[in-house]
Amino acid sequence: MKAVRGKYFFGGVHPHDKKALSSACPLEVMPDPGVAVISTSQSLGKPAVPVVEVGQEVKRGELIARADGFISADVFSSICGTVKEIRDMTGASGAAEKFIFIENNGKTDTAYLPPLSTISADEIKARIKAAGIVGLGGAGFPTHVKVSPRTPVDTLILNGAECEPYLTCDHRLMLEKTDEIVRGARYIAIALGVKNLIIGIEANKPDCIAAFEPYEDIKVVILKKKYPMGGEKQLVYVTTGRKIGLPPKLPADSGVVVENVATAYAVCEAVELGKPLFERVLTVSGGAVTTPKNIWVKVGTKLEDIVNYCGGESLPPKKVIQGGPMTGMALANYDVYTHKTTSGLLLMTPEEAAAEEPTPCLNCGKCADVCPMHLMPMNTAFYSAAGDFEAAAKYGGTMSCIECGACEYTCPAKRPLIQAIRKTKAEMRKIMAGGQKK
Amino acid sequence: MNNEIVISTPPHVKSKRTTRGIMADVCISLIPCAVAGIVFFGYMAFVIELVSVLSCVATEFVYYFIAKGGFAKKCKNAKNVCKAWWKQFDLTSVVTGLILALILPVTVKWYEVLLGGIFAIAIVKMFFGGTGKNLVNPATAARVFMFISFSLTTYVAANYGPILDGETLSGATNLADYLLGAEHGHASALSTLDLFLGTGVNGSIGETCKLAILVGYVYLCIRQVIKWWQPVLFIGVFGLCAVLLSGFYFAPYRFDITLFLPHILSGGVLFGAVFMFTDYVTSPKGVYGQLVYYIAGAVLLALLRYFTKIEVASFGILLMNLFVPLIDKYCIRKPFGYVKEKKQKEGK
Repeated sequence: MKAVRGKYFFGGVHPHDKKALSSACPLEVMPDPGVAVISTSQSLGKPAVPVVEVGQEVKRGELIARADGFISADVFSSICGTVKEIRDMTGASGAAEKFIFIENNGKTDTAYLPPLSTISADEIKARIKAAGIVGLGGAGFPTHVKVSPRTPVDTLILNGAECEPYLTCDHRLMLEKTDEIVRGARYIAIALGVKNLIIGIEANKPDCIAAFEPYEDIKVVILKKKYPMGGEKQLVYVTTGRKIGLPPKLPADSGVVVENVATAYAVCEAVELGKPLFERVLTVSGGAVTTPKNIWVKVGTKLEDIVNYCGGESLPPKKVIQGGPMTGMALANYDVYTHKTTSGLLLMTPEEAAAEEPTPCLNCGKCADVCPMHLMPMNTAFYSAAGDFEAAAKYGGTMSCIECGACEYTCPAKRPLIQAIRKTKAEMRKIMAGGQKK
Repeated sequence: MNNEIVISTPPHVKSKRTTRGIMADVCISLIPCAVAGIVFFGYMAFVIELVSVLSCVATEFVYYFIAKGGFAKKCKNAKNVCKAWWKQFDLTSVVTGLILALILPVTVKWYEVLLGGIFAIAIVKMFFGGTGKNLVNPATAARVFMFISFSLTTYVAANYGPILDGETLSGATNLADYLLGAEHGHASALSTLDLFLGTGVNGSIGETCKLAILVGYVYLCIRQVIKWWQPVLFIGVFGLCAVLLSGFYFAPYRFDITLFLPHILSGGVLFGAVFMFTDYVTSPKGVYGQLVYYIAGAVLLALLRYFTKIEVASFGILLMNLFVPLIDKYCIRKPFGYVKEKKQKEGK
């Protein structure tokens, strides 16, 4: 359908998108790693429970850990090999995760599910669950939970905004796998029983917009280039005009479901090929990497291998980031393994990465001006520094924060606002939990 | 992989804007006013500007040197202390110094300016915790301090009027001259254009040439240091209030809408609206708070001017600054999507 312009939302920032570094690089498949180290915590919710024994031989796509509870997702082997070890290790986030070590035996056998013969809502839902699909945008919310909303839903929104600077994995996927994404979206729509299909694409990707326009059943919405346009609440608002209520509710409460384009692609593969989710597209970019690339990476690949595959460091990086530069995690070393949700690996030069000393707050209010959630981050920072977390949450609106990082990006004094917000959130959860016990 | 890798919370990219950069922008926007002052009032204006800036910066440096960390210890490695000072020096004291000079009349003595600068930085700013912590605008507070302490020389600034035969007319603002002038037959001495360009108008160094102020305003808006609507809202409300208050005047000028321009162009209102009301530190942080602040400030200033008959922009700004914590407390933005939640509750 002909592309239309999206609504405007207040706030947001315009960081330099730096997508030109890798947006012209076609997708390529990275060779299987020698050892795949697969975490069992691949989604929001509970970690999965390993179902393989040490010494067992597994095929590509074989179930190695089963979902534990409703909000949890199955984990599959990404290579053919032997299970060497199952043990706890510190993950990238600093928390202990259970990892399954699989040593590659060089075979290419697959253990996919059978392709779906009949397409019906229940079967697609069962398949999404069986293929262990999670939201690939970053949060990793299990998709089978999303497609079983408790409230009636009438619209499916595909998130092709990719508002994070540097990242181009969704861009390339939308260009090269347009048809698969649309088919996947149709399957999700069948599972949800909705007719309205919307895809939101930021205006800096005109080639993607043109690619989706020929499909008559999907409405293309051009989004203004602005960060965080791809935030769930912002995307729902600009594409449909609906607001997602507070305190934090699901988009389903407003009658919409948001899925990332990469998730739609994974659903398409799961339905048509029976392929479980064990690989994803990852953008390797930044000024300190020799050749920026968009590559298909198996879950459980060591970041060091990825950096080496891209030609290594061209100069010593100041920061190594897993994910996008606005919300991603800074890593201390390359001794980290990819997850289903790892969308990027950025090696930033000292010029790119900000690491300035904070100066005193000027009360300029720029953080509040750019907050897409209309909060007042300076109040959170002010009161949490004084130790009054309840006032911080009250005057800063902290509990509604989506941690997009726009406030800290724009702060002329370079105050660590996100740090203050996270601290306040943690303290407030403690206070609220304590209050309930009484 | 090396050891220089930095770990921090996101975001990992930040804007190029810094406090120092913003303050440099403010300094640049003040240059037209400063130059206009020198053109109209001669070299003494330059001397006052220089003394004021130097005294502010020097006070900040001396305070930085003396306060905290042991004086003797700091004397020993004075070089490092100076380097550290330069690193954290964010040009705020230069801005304070410039503004202070521009809101003083040219007749003020240089040592009075020196004292004013010391008062602005040491007492108003540094005693309260330095940049970002001061309760009131340092330049404004210093201006009021000088007005009270050295009223003989500073009062002229409050006593605007056309320069006639080398003497300042007694009376209030230019506006009063407008009204009185009509009676005494020299209204032509001061046209609206004169007020706008500052030709033949007595007043503070930087406040007389409104054209220079507008140039600074445009620059600040382009650089997004201030929001364009802030001074516009203030000036608009102020002008309307002034016209409404003219209902108490005698007949020909009652509710005279043509008084709007002379009102906003006289005295220090325009300068205050562009450079002093918009001071980050002493104005509310949220948009709603700012709306309240500018409207209340405009009404207050119009009332003050009507009842006191002298130039009171700095008093009005000082008073409004003190209300800012209160405004900040009650003007909180509702998070995105908040309204919807309320509706649903009512439905249940």
